[in-house]
Amino acid sequence: MLIADARFSQIFCLLLFLGLGIFTRDWSLQPVNIGVTILTCLTVQTGWMLACRREVSALVSSLPSALITSLGLSLLLRAESWLPMALAGSIAISSKFLFRVNHKHLFNPSNFGIVIALTLTSAWVSPGQWGEESSYALLFLGLGGLVTKLAGRWDTTGLFLGSYAGLEAARNLWLGWSWDVWLHRLSSGSLLVFAFFMITDPRSIPDSRTGRMIWALGIAGLTFWLRNFCFISTAAFWALFLLAPLGSLIDRLWPAARFTWQPPIKADAKSDAKPDAKSESEANVTLQYSQHSPGIL
Amino acid sequence: MNLIRSLWIALIVSMFCAIATPEASAFCGFYVAKADAQLYNQASQVAIARSGSQTVLTMANDYQGEVRDFAMVVPVPVVLQPDQVQVAEPSIMARLDAFSAPRLVEYFDPDPCAPPDFEIWDRSSAAAPLAEAPVQKSSSRALGVTVESQFSVGEYEIVVLSARESHGLATWLRQNGYRMPAGADRLLQPYIRQNLKFFVAKVNLEEYESSGFQALRPLQIQYESPRFMLPIRLGMLNATAAQDLIVYILSPEGQAEVTNYRTVKIPSDAELPLFVQDEFSGFYKAMFGKAYEREGRNVAFLEYAWDMAGCDPCSAEPLTPAELRQAGVFWLPNPNRAPDWSRPTSVFLTRLHIRYSRDRFPEDLSFQQTGNRSFFQGRYVLRHPFTETTETARCPAGRQYQRELPRRFEQQAQTLAQLTGWQLSDIRRRLPSIQITPISLWQRLWTAVWGLG
Repeated sequence: MLIADARFSQIFCLLLFLGLGIFTRDWSLQPVNIGVTILTCLTVQTGWMLACRREVSALVSSLPSALITSLGLSLLLRAESWLPMALAGSIAISSKFLFRVNHKHLFNPSNFGIVIALTLTSAWVSPGQWGEESSYALLFLGLGGLVTKLAGRWDTTGLFLGSYAGLEAARNLWLGWSWDVWLHRLSSGSLLVFAFFMITDPRSIPDSRTGRMIWALGIAGLTFWLRNFCFISTAAFWALFLLAPLGSLIDRLWPAARFTWQPPIKADAKSDAKPDAKSESEANVTLQYSQHSPGIL
Repeated sequence: MNLIRSLWIALIVSMFCAIATPEASAFCGFYVAKADAQLYNQASQVAIARSGSQTVLTMANDYQGEVRDFAMVVPVPVVLQPDQVQVAEPSIMARLDAFSAPRLVEYFDPDPCAPPDFEIWDRSSAAAPLAEAPVQKSSSRALGVTVESQFSVGEYEIVVLSARESHGLATWLRQNGYRMPAGADRLLQPYIRQNLKFFVAKVNLEEYESSGFQALRPLQIQYESPRFMLPIRLGMLNATAAQDLIVYILSPEGQAEVTNYRTVKIPSDAELPLFVQDEFSGFYKAMFGKAYEREGRNVAFLEYAWDMAGCDPCSAEPLTPAELRQAGVFWLPNPNRAPDWSRPTSVFLTRLHIRYSRDRFPEDLSFQQTGNRSFFQGRYVLRHPFTETTETARCPAGRQYQRELPRRFEQQAQTLAQLTGWQLSDIRRRLPSIQITPISLWQRLWTAVWGLG
């Protein structure tokens, strides 16, 4: 059953891109920082689980999520020393335990860690360091995951990218730029990592499909505004951070079954295979829900 | 200079620059910087001093056409008033260039037979650093063009325009004696719709002739805007080849980087054959070209990143506080006033070298400052061997040193070939020849048994 856990495909993809960055790109990726981030996230996760007196099996089950959070931070956040990375990792994991509404994370942990690190430390995000080629590879793999449904809420990714690309296309048309400008603006590695691995976190985004659609549109719109009118290069991260608290409100307005990383044991085969496809009317169906499984990034 | 070059080379800066000019030439932005940068056929230089959203932008050019033909159009985010524009000291760009240019350093091998001295490497590196810098007004309303301000600064006549649509702006410029290249109308539109203003400068010939300067001085503008970008699209309108742009970013924080293209460190710290000393410019040009191709022709190269408080080694004296202020650094405390502890006191210089062409750089450049205060410099090493043959041969360590030299030279040759793409066989022919002292049979035996030569 463990192999069916979608988080392992996430870990595989994130490791792949981290390797790409280390071996083929000049990313200022520091192995020490990566190691410290991973260690910090795993340690803090263990500490919180023990403090909350969770079972060992629950602890073990939660570690892949902490690893994903650390890999996401390593991919996106840059710092001159390991301290800001350790701080970001600690805050990211802690946010899952400190900010909860109805047993659900209020913030995406990686996103929370990134925004706090950007605000309080000298850490930074390098949106341009992927280059177009890497972005295309990322897009290819991400779309592959989309098609094969290897991970959770891919519909959110599709709508976010689609609506953001649409807004950028409208702006491009209005300004009169050639279309290669539009393509170039979309080939941002950070934006794609955000879209494929952060905004898909089923543990911190709305449960219902309608809610997720509204959510994705909102984040795309705010990202577009922050980037083009406030000139913030890390717009997507701020957009998700600012809109995160609205997730619980959307869940209240459009309730649905909670997502679980591990395939439900007692649920029927249909819901097992397509957890995302559940209609609003199925909102009260009870799926196996592990309170210990944290968000993706 | 060909027509294209003199027609418009626009570029720019805070938001970019377009050019227009009377007669058939106009020049906007920079093209050929200065002597050190003559390395590149078309190189513009821009210095951006930025803290928060306050920006001072210095645009230097080495315009070589007729001064009366000079004109440039630079999109700017706000309407600039006379107190926001000045001419900068002509030497300031040269100082920034010399201070941050990729450098060649020399080291001299010590006598291998000298008594061991643990400080010897420190001494040699400190003793010999030698740096070599590679281094009409009635119709305005009808055209939708508003003259926001108009004034003279030094030898320049400045007009700041806002426009409602590109055709009207282009028409206004043509009516006022600026020759606009084909396609300019279309390219002006995106900037107009982003609500940018147009800073138009041309030369007042009388002022210029009475000033006594031999070349046009850099123009410096200051403004407050969250935009941190450098428009390059206008400058590519008539360009047939890739253009070089060197951007010096002065920040109280740390390194600056491009946010919408990759920023890559230029290969550095390579040990090279000694003959490179005589052709460092050729070496650097070849190496840059190779790196440019290898990275896909769409990256910004980091050539220098250092706190202005020091350098090691220094290719030129660090800029004085007065020179930094000339370069636009506005946050340094005024020595004539009481200390203001809220003001940052450090200046971090980042030198980015961008070779851009229309097909690989579709979008204008966006920048950000980061908290990264790690130092970097394009630095290439010449290591002079200890050549006193008779002295070298007088001890086992000396003979061992002598035998290892050909291997070192070969390694240097391969490094050079790899960096520049030059033919390895050509490089080998230019390597120094070393006379190796013959070793007797007993010495070989001694070496085999004790490991000493």
